[in-house]
Amino acid sequence: MTTSRFWARFLLPGGLWLLLLFAVPIGLTVAVSFGTTDTLGLPIYGWHPENYSRVFDPLFAPVLWRSVGYAAAATALCLLLGYPVAYTIARFGGRWKNVLIIAVVLPFFVNYLVRTYAWVTILSDDGLLNHTLKSIGIGEIRFLNTPTAVIGGLTYGYLAFMILPVFAALDRMNPALVEAGKDLYGTPARTFWHVTWPSTFQGVLAGCVLVFLPAVGDFVSAQLLGGPNTYMVGNLISQQFYEAQNWPFGSALTVVMMAFLMVWMLFYLRSAARAAREAEPA
Amino acid sequence: MTNDPWGREFTRRSLIQRSAGLALGASAVGGLAACGVGSQKTSTTATEKVVKAQVDGDLVYFNYSEYVDPGVVKRFEKHYGVKVTQAYYDSMAGMMSKLNAGNVYDVIFPSAEYVDRLRKANRLLKIDHSQLKNAEQALGFSPYFANPWYDPNANHSMPYTMYTTGIGWRSDKVGDKLTGSWHDLWNEKAKGKIFVLDDYQEAVGMGNLVNGFDLNTTDSAQLDKTKQLLVDQKPLLRGYSTDTITNMSNGSAWIHHIWNGDIVNVRNQVKNPEDYKFETAKEGTPIGSDTFVIPTNAAHPGTALLFIDWMLDPANAAKNIEYIGYPMPNKGGYSAFEALVKEEPSINVTVEQLQAANQFQFRDLDQTGLQRWNDTWTAVKAA
Repeated sequence: MTTSRFWARFLLPGGLWLLLLFAVPIGLTVAVSFGTTDTLGLPIYGWHPENYSRVFDPLFAPVLWRSVGYAAAATALCLLLGYPVAYTIARFGGRWKNVLIIAVVLPFFVNYLVRTYAWVTILSDDGLLNHTLKSIGIGEIRFLNTPTAVIGGLTYGYLAFMILPVFAALDRMNPALVEAGKDLYGTPARTFWHVTWPSTFQGVLAGCVLVFLPAVGDFVSAQLLGGPNTYMVGNLISQQFYEAQNWPFGSALTVVMMAFLMVWMLFYLRSAARAAREAEPA
Repeated sequence: MTNDPWGREFTRRSLIQRSAGLALGASAVGGLAACGVGSQKTSTTATEKVVKAQVDGDLVYFNYSEYVDPGVVKRFEKHYGVKVTQAYYDSMAGMMSKLNAGNVYDVIFPSAEYVDRLRKANRLLKIDHSQLKNAEQALGFSPYFANPWYDPNANHSMPYTMYTTGIGWRSDKVGDKLTGSWHDLWNEKAKGKIFVLDDYQEAVGMGNLVNGFDLNTTDSAQLDKTKQLLVDQKPLLRGYSTDTITNMSNGSAWIHHIWNGDIVNVRNQVKNPEDYKFETAKEGTPIGSDTFVIPTNAAHPGTALLFIDWMLDPANAAKNIEYIGYPMPNKGGYSAFEALVKEEPSINVTVEQLQAANQFQFRDLDQTGLQRWNDTWTAVKAA
């Protein structure tokens, strides 16, 4: 009894951290979402549920679906690009494994905004990519300010979130399982599909959640790489806070968005919990 | 910013469930309203506080980026032995939201209508002209600036620049002459290469002028028409952006809704400056001025006064004019702008225009009006 109480004390710093930097801000957001503003745009607390009815104005429906679509596309691309990378590092990395993983993480030491800005210089009409294309005789292609650029920016921004959990799952996997699959005359493709894929599925699922959820709420990619028709929910929310001085409406949007994302998260948590139960030895 | 916290919390699965519970609990606590945002109260007495121009600490400066000659700031640091911390905004609205979030700055550069709003809300410190050696440089430039509409007797602000909004274009791509109308932002020849300023005032204001409405109209039927006009324009656009200098110099923009001084800055950065032109529209052009002000909650108002005085010094004003390309009401420094205008007459803005074209200056809208403008702009972008 006393030992457990002793260890429980170590929860205090983390608990305080969560309370001050997570719970309190979310509580404030919820409180502001029912408020109005004064002449300078400062929020006044009150009871104005109409902020929420405005969230469901049909005007904003395309913005929501666009965000989900872009995030889903980015998640799929991250999986297509990230799985082979994770697989190669886990299976063939050898003593370079750690170096390669560091190489995956290294770009994250640079701010996401700065990295996305670098893409502007690469993709612009007179930029590096078009310059190269022109010099080899292919004409100018418009990359920047397109939906493709936004999805590309999201993919680039969150790729490591896919690679890392998939790598962890692959690395944990017992290589004997693959050998067993081969011993049973499985082709490489069948072995992958029946052995490797199922045993890394939880890693893939974790990767998808880690990419999809932040990508839905992202605004940097659409802000810097997007055009007039790539407006995402993140942009809508940031505009309410940063430009429109309408923190209450921005907060209402945020709360609805969090509720929407929470559904996906609960779905993932349940699946992960089930997988953990199944993995336990009976 | 929902992305980062989400991304990180999820790696700690077990914690997320607990923290969600905490959040729900915390939101139920009404006492939260007492802390954090919305608690900045100011009184009129704070705005009347007399401040002496003397070093009282390092300067925290809040401005657009590329809106002052970095050399002028560096020499200020050296001369007074202080450090200047520079923070940037990309629009007046962005500036307001940082102020509202409780950030503390010593000197900011709001445009006229924002001076009006901040002043009325008692958020600006009184500037005692006798503390500034160079006050006369600006106030004596024209009676307009000695007693401007946005700040009676210039009690809370000193003028920095004058600006106008127009259209910048690439003559090598769309020709030497455009029509001199806002409709040039609908030019089919530049389809996919046109940018409109990502600024609710400039974008909605431009739409109002195209429709023949008053620049500052808050009539909802008129704003609906403006919204429709801007939505219909979208297929022609490359985007909404205030990153005018980058967009024009990297080739993304052939036609850009742009401020007059920015075109000078663009020309300083490209290989073929003669291909970058500027025009103002015959339907009317927003004309305005930017200022220096000291917020009431500034931590180092004395250094801020010294900085304002430094910026008003004619030699420094001339340096700034050459760097940013905007005219400044400054008796000794103005000749630097006359030299720029000789090269490119279209960028000129005069005090006579500021006085004559009053209807084309952005005004401090009432709260309902402001909300309508912002909703109009949100609807355009979401469409």
